[in-house]
Amino acid sequence: MPADHSALMGITRALLWLILGLVAAAILFVLVAGGALAVAWPDIVVEAKKSGVFLDAAAMRPQLFALLALLLAILAATVDVLRQLQALVASAAADPFIPENAGRLRRIGWALVAVHLLALPLGWVAGSIAKATSKFAAMGGINLTGILAILLAFVLAAVFERGAAMRDELEGTV
Amino acid sequence: MAIVVKLDELLHAKRMTLTDLSERIGITLANLSILKTGKAKAMRFSTLEAICAELDCQPGDLLAHEADS
Repeated sequence: MPADHSALMGITRALLWLILGLVAAAILFVLVAGGALAVAWPDIVVEAKKSGVFLDAAAMRPQLFALLALLLAILAATVDVLRQLQALVASAAADPFIPENAGRLRRIGWALVAVHLLALPLGWVAGSIAKATSKFAAMGGINLTGILAILLAFVLAAVFERGAAMRDELEGTV
Repeated sequence: MAIVVKLDELLHAKRMTLTDLSERIGITLANLSILKTGKAKAMRFSTLEAICAELDCQPGDLLAHEADS
């Protein structure tokens, strides 16, 4: 592999670990927030009333739970995408044209589909919370780049499948 | 595989070892072994040409077709 490619792969590996760390931190935050919602709800309502963040904090509990559950599912799918990408990058150093990599890319494609399907209800829930307060950013919804990424993953999976078949053919050639 | 590689017979007739052939035609011993033992899935024309030139034979002397039993 040329030097510039191996440097790029090194950066990719480091970035993947960094993103994985951030996602792990986000999962931890969601779990802590979920625990707080479950255990310390009365305190949260009192605090929210004091700060004036929620106009009707008491009615927001189911939406907040739904929001955290959706976020957790999206983060879990993201972890799967990152782990598959790490395996892909690791195999690229030796021989990337193996049938497993076609499977990994297809799995990334489906995980991205899951993320985008989950982002729709996330958008609705976030919207319903946003209506009750001004201090809540928009979340989820559809984005074109994400759909392109899904298509790219599936096209690459097909390419790798063909590549693996060609490699297999070449392997027994003398 | 219905295609039989008769490299062993040809080498025997020429009193040559697989290692000799490997050194003369520049194809690795490992690859020639794969060919000799019938484990190869395909053969390049360049390999066929090199072996035929070195062993002074025709492709038909090296390869034969036997019906699968």
